[in-house]
Amino acid sequence: MLEGKFDEATLLKKIVDSIKDCVKLCNFNCTEHGITVQAVDDSRVLLVSLLVGQTAFSEYRCDRDITLGIDLDSFSKIIKCGNNEDYLTILAEDSPDNVMTIFEDKKKERVSEYSLKLMNIDSEFLKIDDMEYDTVITMPSSEFAKIVRDLKNLSESLNIIVTKDSVKFSSEGESGSGSVVLKPYTDMDKPDESVNVHLDNPVDLTFGLKYLSDIIKATSLSGTITIKLADKTPALFEYKLDVGGYLRFYLAPKFDEDE
Amino acid sequence: MSQTKRHNDTQAHSLPAGSQSVSSTIELTPSQQQLLKKVRRPNGTEEPSEFERELLNMTESAKELGSEEDQNWSRPRIPAGFSSDTYDISFQQLDAEEYYSGDDTYARFFGVTEEGYSVLCNVTGFVHYFYVPVPKGFVQNQHLARFTSYLKENYDGVKDVGIKLKESIWGFNNNIKTQFFQVYVNNTKNITKIRGAFERGEVRFENLFPPQSVSFDNINYVLRLMIDCKITGMSWITLPKTTYQVVSPDISISTCQIECSIDYKDLISHAPEGEWLKMAPLRILSFDIECAGRKGIFPEAEHDSVIQIANVVSRYGESRPFVRNVFTVNTCSSIIGSQIFEHEKEGDMLTHWRDFVVQVDADVIIGYNTANFDIPYLLDRAKALGVNRFPYFGRLKTVRQEVKDSTFSSRAYGTRENKVVNIDGRMQLDLLQFIQREYKLRSYTLNSVSAHFLGEQKEDVQHSIITDLQNGTKETRRRLAVYCLKDAYLPLRLLDKLMCLVNYTEMARVTGVPFSYLLSRGQQIKVISQLFRKCLEEDIVIPNMKSEGTNEEYEGATVIEPSRGYYDVPIATLDFSSLYPSIMMAHNLCYTTLLNRQSIAAFNLTEDDYTKTPNGDYFIKDNKRQGILPTILNELLTARKKAKADLKKETDPFKRDVLNGRQLALKISANSVYGFTGATIGKLPCLQISSSVTAFGREMIEKTKNEVQEFYSKKNGHPYDAQVIYGDTDSVMVKFGYQDLETCMKLGEEAAKFVSTKFKKPINLEFEKVYFPYLLINKKRYAGLYWTRPDKFDKMDTKGIETVRRDNCRLVQNVITKVLEFILEDRDVEKACRFVKQTIADLLQNRIDLSQLVITKAYAKHEYAGKQAHVELAERMRKRDAGSAPALGDRVAYVIINSGSDKAYEKSEDPLYVLENSLPIDVKYYLDNQLTKPLERIFVPILGESKTKELLAGAHTRTIKLSAPKTGGLMRFATKTEVCVYCKTPLKADNHGALCPNCIREGRGPGLYGNALSQMNYLENKFSRLWTECQRCQGSLHQEVLCSNKDCPIFYMRKKAQKDVHQQSLEIVRWDQTIW
Repeated sequence: MLEGKFDEATLLKKIVDSIKDCVKLCNFNCTEHGITVQAVDDSRVLLVSLLVGQTAFSEYRCDRDITLGIDLDSFSKIIKCGNNEDYLTILAEDSPDNVMTIFEDKKKERVSEYSLKLMNIDSEFLKIDDMEYDTVITMPSSEFAKIVRDLKNLSESLNIIVTKDSVKFSSEGESGSGSVVLKPYTDMDKPDESVNVHLDNPVDLTFGLKYLSDIIKATSLSGTITIKLADKTPALFEYKLDVGGYLRFYLAPKFDEDE
Repeated sequence: MSQTKRHNDTQAHSLPAGSQSVSSTIELTPSQQQLLKKVRRPNGTEEPSEFERELLNMTESAKELGSEEDQNWSRPRIPAGFSSDTYDISFQQLDAEEYYSGDDTYARFFGVTEEGYSVLCNVTGFVHYFYVPVPKGFVQNQHLARFTSYLKENYDGVKDVGIKLKESIWGFNNNIKTQFFQVYVNNTKNITKIRGAFERGEVRFENLFPPQSVSFDNINYVLRLMIDCKITGMSWITLPKTTYQVVSPDISISTCQIECSIDYKDLISHAPEGEWLKMAPLRILSFDIECAGRKGIFPEAEHDSVIQIANVVSRYGESRPFVRNVFTVNTCSSIIGSQIFEHEKEGDMLTHWRDFVVQVDADVIIGYNTANFDIPYLLDRAKALGVNRFPYFGRLKTVRQEVKDSTFSSRAYGTRENKVVNIDGRMQLDLLQFIQREYKLRSYTLNSVSAHFLGEQKEDVQHSIITDLQNGTKETRRRLAVYCLKDAYLPLRLLDKLMCLVNYTEMARVTGVPFSYLLSRGQQIKVISQLFRKCLEEDIVIPNMKSEGTNEEYEGATVIEPSRGYYDVPIATLDFSSLYPSIMMAHNLCYTTLLNRQSIAAFNLTEDDYTKTPNGDYFIKDNKRQGILPTILNELLTARKKAKADLKKETDPFKRDVLNGRQLALKISANSVYGFTGATIGKLPCLQISSSVTAFGREMIEKTKNEVQEFYSKKNGHPYDAQVIYGDTDSVMVKFGYQDLETCMKLGEEAAKFVSTKFKKPINLEFEKVYFPYLLINKKRYAGLYWTRPDKFDKMDTKGIETVRRDNCRLVQNVITKVLEFILEDRDVEKACRFVKQTIADLLQNRIDLSQLVITKAYAKHEYAGKQAHVELAERMRKRDAGSAPALGDRVAYVIINSGSDKAYEKSEDPLYVLENSLPIDVKYYLDNQLTKPLERIFVPILGESKTKELLAGAHTRTIKLSAPKTGGLMRFATKTEVCVYCKTPLKADNHGALCPNCIREGRGPGLYGNALSQMNYLENKFSRLWTECQRCQGSLHQEVLCSNKDCPIFYMRKKAQKDVHQQSLEIVRWDQTIW
């Protein structure tokens, strides 16, 4: 039996909206510690790794490990049916055919229930091991989202160069080019607004903006984003969930010579 | 599953002598050794393959029959006493060409006599001419002599001018013939000049000529000669003794056995009837070359050598080829039943081959893609090697063979770029071109074509392997030679099977054009040739119209709005036989009968004299003038009836083939006359005729519908109201309402007779068949069981449904065919639904064979307006490997994969590449874009909307498999975590088993393990059966399979099975580590 109750439906709504554009079908692995999702997009360039920790739920129980094969398009339609402030509970049997979603209005005595048929998805469970990165950048997630959105107008790829005192995002397209340079900056009043660069080695990497613009859909999940980079290695873009857990994207950089 | 013939064990142990001793001391590279291992059995001997046995059989049967000496190249000798005083020469002419001697033009005919002697006949004395109308005020006695000398003075090449009474084909002239100049000119260049001068009004003789004028009868010299002498293509000609002169061998220009000249008035042409329907014993040479290419590059003649040429020669009418040989560079072990000619140097081989062609003196050269590849390659290669003697294997000693590019564009066949090589006196028939013209196939490789027509797969050796085989030992070269010989033999078998030669010969005879026109020219020339022949008889001349290429469209055939649905009662189909020809005949529609208001007034015609067509054109009736097109059509259709009647009586299989080809040619010719009048970019377009024809057609369909519904109604005392549920161009489908077939057939017969009486002769409505049950999906889309007898149905007939279309994958085709079988034959809709669900589930779980998902599209031109999947793919493949990438005109095969892009054109991929890199198939695309629509079309009329939805998106679509990626920037860093086989939960790192502890606790182990084992068994079994099948196909069970035949479904199945076995075995290993 799985039973997980969110204080506010909005959290799950945001999570599903953040990933449903790059992954259509995925398995939700539920354990006693919470719910995890690992999925690769169709082009195998982007890996999504989600952990919703037990602490993110106001009530949580999971008697045995179960896997929910979910069609995110359908699931997001169901989740949209609730109000943002509603309590949201997901319920599933031990060997489930479907998953129940229950919304409870906090003020009125209104309860709505939805059931989603599950899919049996036979896919491999991929994981990227923790590794050493050359650079770790922490910055406001909205700042990053703006950079990606702006530069996407120019080109299909984004170059990130990190040197010891600056981070340079730049794009070159047919119609022109653009760049944004950030310097480390500390805001004592609003720590979320700080830009923090930890550098072991300078890096120079290029990513597909198509994927980055999928990634920034998670902006609303967290005020900050942590970007971990290393040469010729998938970059890690991490949004921490305040209530416990994270949404990580691993994105392979573009190589000059296509293998 | 078995497509190849089973082994015949009784003859299995005849080993080729040369293959038993393999003691080569050549140094081998590892890759060659690897190959040699594949080629050789452990003890160094080799079992003859299926095909080798076939070769042996040919030799043996040749010996038994004691027929002509096997493997003897030369033609029979001319009898000793041969001279023009004593012998008539009768020969079948195969090819005609014009040639110049000084400024004058002559024609040459190449041919073969019944005894098999080759003939070159020069026809002299014929002067080309054209017509121009005699202007008003020109008086023959007064002006003609002066006019003639005026022309001779001012223009080169004018031989003579005469005046003839002729009539223009255009419009009805009240049967009055007028005067025309017949201007004789010595050659083509001059005739064009003078014709132009007349047309532009530059001829200013005593100011008699108008400023612009029309000339008549513009046709090339050879056709003009053939028409005037009544010679048709492939017909027989007799040269009576004493009328011809033999050219003595020392001044002859050709290699023909008999070379002679004759005046055109002396030769006797035989119409192809009775005795003269026969065929001469033509020598047909089929050959194939192998090139040693470099890896990844398509062979280029400057660099890559020709290493083998295999030849098979047969005589027309004999079932077995009498010459089989292979010319090789370097040594080669012997192949039983065929000769091997080893050469040290490539140049020597080429020269030897050239001598062979000249000595064997082939009349027809065939092959597969020889026109665009083999022949040009040989010529280019000989040039690169400096073999100067090589490019002279035509029949004219001094004419060098050269490659020219030609672009052929026709509405019916599309645009094709071809290479043309002049091999004077020898006909060329490239089977690839023939098949591309006559058949619509998914793929045109020799493999798939022979699979389609001969029911035989052949092994396909990749060109990169060829070089390794050549550089190996004489054993590996032998394997290559066998392969090459088979490629040379297959076109010959295709030629027989498809009866290309027979059918094209009959087409040439019926339409009167030389054989070579049939492959190199379009449809129009055939009609023109017939038109000119008929006009000559009736003193009619044809204006030289400038084709303007207007895009004027006229209304086409009518389609009665279909009453869509599934009919569980018999539906009778009534057809107009030869609708368009019979309309033209019934209403006397022709150029010569065309009227307009002015001419009606001018000739004082009354309404009884002409027909007003439904779209408002006027044609004179046949009592005033019989049109020339109706006459031609009448002759064609009468001849066809006769041919069909003869066919019924004839017992000799060869004569039957000829007659069948003849009636086919007659039918096609009759139908192409209508198209000719409607071809706006044509020689003689006349939209009044073509649009009147379709207008009559539309009217007739409507009338038929009304008559039938009126007559077979409750009002008239019938128990049901008959309903015409659909009609198209020349047929109507009638629901009489009766449940049983017999009544419907009887009524159909009756209705056809009844309605026929309402129309003018020879329009005839025929009852042909009954569909029962019948599924009418839309216009031009329907399916049904086809009955002509009440006791058993003939076949399942489908139109416009995905079973026949080529731009779908085979999966769609197979599913639809099966579904229709279940619904129509078994009448079991439930079963059809189950089958569809199962197929969709298989698709989503990646259990469908890749070959089922391959889509092919013709790669017709480089620049398309939008980006297209197959064009993009061809581009990408060229970057990967230019040698194997599809070329212009090929059909590109691709599958749709998940690539992260939404654009369909970026999702196409080469099936082989997908297989090798295990890329994920976009199953959603196949479900949504390929299967959904066709299935909906079939099921919605039967089940209704909602149930059909369930069929396509029900519970069976909830299990899917996402295949594991192996490439991509990410995957090198990702590690795979095993998941529980049952509940998909990721397993802890120290658990190498198949199940998670929970599932073990719940006791799921034994059942699942059993499943896994039986799955393994099944897969292994499947793989070994496929492997054996491929070994059978390559003809030997003891050799590893080399084949990578992209057209063979078994190839994909084999590869997939191989991978599945591998994966399953990994799972089994995990079970070994599971403890419960």
